[in-house]
Amino acid sequence: MPLQLLAALALPWLAALALFALPNGRRNTAAAIAGGATLLAAALLAMQGPAVFAGDVPHVSWPWLPFEGADFGLRVDGLAWTFALLVLGIGALVVLYARYYLSADDPMARFYALFMVFMGAMLGLVLADNLLLLVVFWELTSISSFLLIGYWQDRADARRGARLSLTITALGGLALLGGVLLLGNIVGSFQLDAVLAAGEVVRAHPWYAPTLVLILLGAFSKSAQFPLHFWLPQAMAAPTPVSAYLHSATLVKAGVFLIARLHPTLAGTDLWFYVVSLTGLATLVTGAYIAMFQHDLKGLLAYSTISHLGLITLLFGLSTPLATVAGVFHILNHAIFKASLFMAAGVIDHETGSRDMRRLHGLHKYMPLTAVLAIVASAAMAGVPLLNGFLSKEMFFAETLQLDARPLLSVAIPLLATVAAAFSVAYSLRFIHDVFWNGEPVALPQNPHDPPFWMLVPIGTLAMLCLLVGILPALIVGPVLAVTAAPVVGGALPDYSLSIWHGFNLPLLMSVLALFVGVALYVMLQRLFRLHDLVHLPRGGREIFDATVAAAVRAARALTDLLVNGSVQRSVLLITLAALVLGLFTLLAPQPATAPLTAAATSAGPVAWTLWLLTLCSLAALIARHRERLEALVYLGVVGLAVSLTFGALSAPDLLLTQLLVEVASILLLLLALNFLPQRSSRTDPPRRRWRDAGLALGAGVGISTLVYAVLSRPRPDSLAPWFLENSVPGAFGTNAVNVILVDFRAFDTLGEITVLGLAAVLVAALLPHTKTAGNIKSPGAAAGAGRSLMLEITSRVMLPLTALVAVWFFLRGHNLPGGGFIGGLVLAIGLLLPSLGSGVDWVEQRSTPRFEAWIGWGLACATVTGLVSLALEHPFLTSAYLAPVLPVIDKVPIATAMFFDLGVFLTVAGAAALALTRLGRLSGAPHDGGRT
Amino acid sequence: MNSAAWVDWIVAALMVGGAAFALVGSYGLAKLSDFYKRLHGPTKATTLGVGGVLLAACVFFISAGRGGTEQILVALFLFITAPVSAHLLVKAVLSLNAADRPPQPPDDGQGRP
Repeated sequence: MPLQLLAALALPWLAALALFALPNGRRNTAAAIAGGATLLAAALLAMQGPAVFAGDVPHVSWPWLPFEGADFGLRVDGLAWTFALLVLGIGALVVLYARYYLSADDPMARFYALFMVFMGAMLGLVLADNLLLLVVFWELTSISSFLLIGYWQDRADARRGARLSLTITALGGLALLGGVLLLGNIVGSFQLDAVLAAGEVVRAHPWYAPTLVLILLGAFSKSAQFPLHFWLPQAMAAPTPVSAYLHSATLVKAGVFLIARLHPTLAGTDLWFYVVSLTGLATLVTGAYIAMFQHDLKGLLAYSTISHLGLITLLFGLSTPLATVAGVFHILNHAIFKASLFMAAGVIDHETGSRDMRRLHGLHKYMPLTAVLAIVASAAMAGVPLLNGFLSKEMFFAETLQLDARPLLSVAIPLLATVAAAFSVAYSLRFIHDVFWNGEPVALPQNPHDPPFWMLVPIGTLAMLCLLVGILPALIVGPVLAVTAAPVVGGALPDYSLSIWHGFNLPLLMSVLALFVGVALYVMLQRLFRLHDLVHLPRGGREIFDATVAAAVRAARALTDLLVNGSVQRSVLLITLAALVLGLFTLLAPQPATAPLTAAATSAGPVAWTLWLLTLCSLAALIARHRERLEALVYLGVVGLAVSLTFGALSAPDLLLTQLLVEVASILLLLLALNFLPQRSSRTDPPRRRWRDAGLALGAGVGISTLVYAVLSRPRPDSLAPWFLENSVPGAFGTNAVNVILVDFRAFDTLGEITVLGLAAVLVAALLPHTKTAGNIKSPGAAAGAGRSLMLEITSRVMLPLTALVAVWFFLRGHNLPGGGFIGGLVLAIGLLLPSLGSGVDWVEQRSTPRFEAWIGWGLACATVTGLVSLALEHPFLTSAYLAPVLPVIDKVPIATAMFFDLGVFLTVAGAAALALTRLGRLSGAPHDGGRT
Repeated sequence: MNSAAWVDWIVAALMVGGAAFALVGSYGLAKLSDFYKRLHGPTKATTLGVGGVLLAACVFFISAGRGGTEQILVALFLFITAPVSAHLLVKAVLSLNAADRPPQPPDDGQGRP
């Protein structure tokens, strides 16, 4: 049984994986995979039916998050069971429908893949036995619905609608997460059983109000409740199958599902009553009112959806047991008729090429079957007797009359409910009359006719259900409703009778009144006000939203312009200034009493003095000659060399090697970049600015010196260094502690670093233009025809294998002697640039173009897999082991597994550095002429 | 350190010789009048000067029984690369002072604009 649950949840996701791999041309295969997975999942869930009806709650869980009450659990009570079957059942119908709806140009496999992702997320949401898991799936529905709504990526309205819906529902999701965390804290567990049982505690808790408001914000944003409803009409830019699915049974129902799910825990207070029912009421009336004035078929359905969601919310807000049952009932009914209506609208759009009700007229002659099915469904929407919508609406009216305790609302709510019902009759009538009668079609792009048979099957199935439920409610839906509503009511089910005729009573009167008023309203609107000329564009939420977004973008742009205006000087100035200010703050902070310097200062030997003087002299030269860029670069190289040698003088050979190679690589990069700059920079800065810069530089220099002195003149704290030195051989099997730290003790850091390095290199490659730019060569040598140097060409080719050899040598010895993957990688990268420097980029590219991006990928994979292997052997991530395989001829080979990690570092560094260098070289075209070297 | 005295003498001679070449090379670089002449200085310093010091190190480490192959490798790389850089310097200057040169023979494949 547990496996069945997991399998049901996993099926859509597996289908999505398969579909992502499928070519888009395989339309029937794609539909078959999607439909098959859906039906199979539905069957698996249906098999839980007997248990659910017997009152059991099949559930299954695995440990998930490392604290109490946060297991990865699935749980099927009545509510979850019915909802899951609704999701899968309507999903299967929409899969069939979409196969015929989408044109041959639309990427079919991608559509179904996204559809399956969404279905999987929705299924997870309803089955989750853990509020945190529910939130995770909730966010997944937001993201996948974003992708589905924006499925036609080339259309601006689709992109805008998708963005809007993502923004609103994701913001709501954040609020929900906050609410759920609060709730979990109050209850002490996130498991649904515990939460549902803790209603008393929660309602009495001081955090109840914020918890409730946050959770309701999430639910209202998802279920498009007023005033957050404005994203839903914009989402109509989606393909109609998506709308039919998202706006009938799934996405927008997630909000009311959440309200129903947590109803036993949160409901029963005044706060709940007022917030939920008044929001629902406002949504019900506004949605229905605006729907009447929509000229777009799907727009009408969108606002009607909003209105019906308001009705459901209102019912849950009233919160009496009967109202709750009615709310659950209306969720089911609305899903059925709204899905079929959306699909009918899609058929009309598909066969006529238009959704404009000012042009669609008299279609009953051309598409009679569609007309019949649409009439049934919209009559259900209007609440006409003998159809399912009538029953739940009747229950709704009855419940609005039970508010005796609140005198004002006891009048207002029934009145407004009747008015909204009249509106809904009017727009349902408009849907039918405008489209299928009311004269002849006006300038349609296509000749209308009934769609292919299989497109009508889903609509017909649902319309049939409307009728069956409407005529034989107790038989068809009675048991299901009972089992679904029980967990929502949270106690014994109230007595209610599901029958068409309850005698003459007030609810019936309200229904009849609404019908007549609605018809009269429609006729009046058509005749007196010329409905078709009214352009009623609801303003409000969307405009505010757009204005907010625009203001945020403007503010961000202004701030960016202020800080990063494209001037490197400005950026350097700000960064230095910030560092200086922050550094000064640390000086102002209270200092611990400084202990006297205990260790004797190391006296500087002649080597140190020489290096220091060399650095000083070249710095002075650099400052004096910095306007001659090439010359300045030479001095900069000398400074770098001196710094590297300083590391050598301080017995840090690994640092020496690394620094030296980095210097070489950066000088090469700068040389290549110099091609884009004038040879000398002219002096244009006003003196004031130069004094400012000088002061800043001096301040920064003094600050750094002070810091260094402060660090050096204090006793060294107990450092990790001795530990590393002691453990590098026993713990990591290498005598070079520096390398051991990199590839073992701190291997996770290194993994992060090489990932960043690889990403940066790929970004550099992506940002640089791929084509060579001609005419950037500023070298007078090249211009004067100095041309190629045969000697350089041949030498550089000879050097490549030698350099590669050195790289491998550094890599192999790295674990025990100075060297390692980082150094080896840099050596290889520089070596790889040599042939292009000598013979030109063209020459190299004619022979081979190594894909350095792939090197980066393989390197990262190698490093990660090394770590995962130790994880698979039940050691912590990236634990080293020592192998000593005995190979023929070579005999025993000592290998620490950290070497494979180091191989990953080697490949990534070589790939990243070579990628950046060769791309820049290719761009500048300078190596082509060898004149710059 | 168990090397014989004559090894010390050889090492010292090579060191001093190399250093002398380096000094002469540097002096020449500073003193000589025109670019082509001055180029002789650093080339002597890199080949003979550094080469002498490397040879000294090589002899020293071999006699001390601590390898010595690295120095040979360094010398190899140096002898491959140093002439190339000198050559390129000359080429660069030649192209800078193109007017001073006799015209190029037409068939050397360098007639690109």
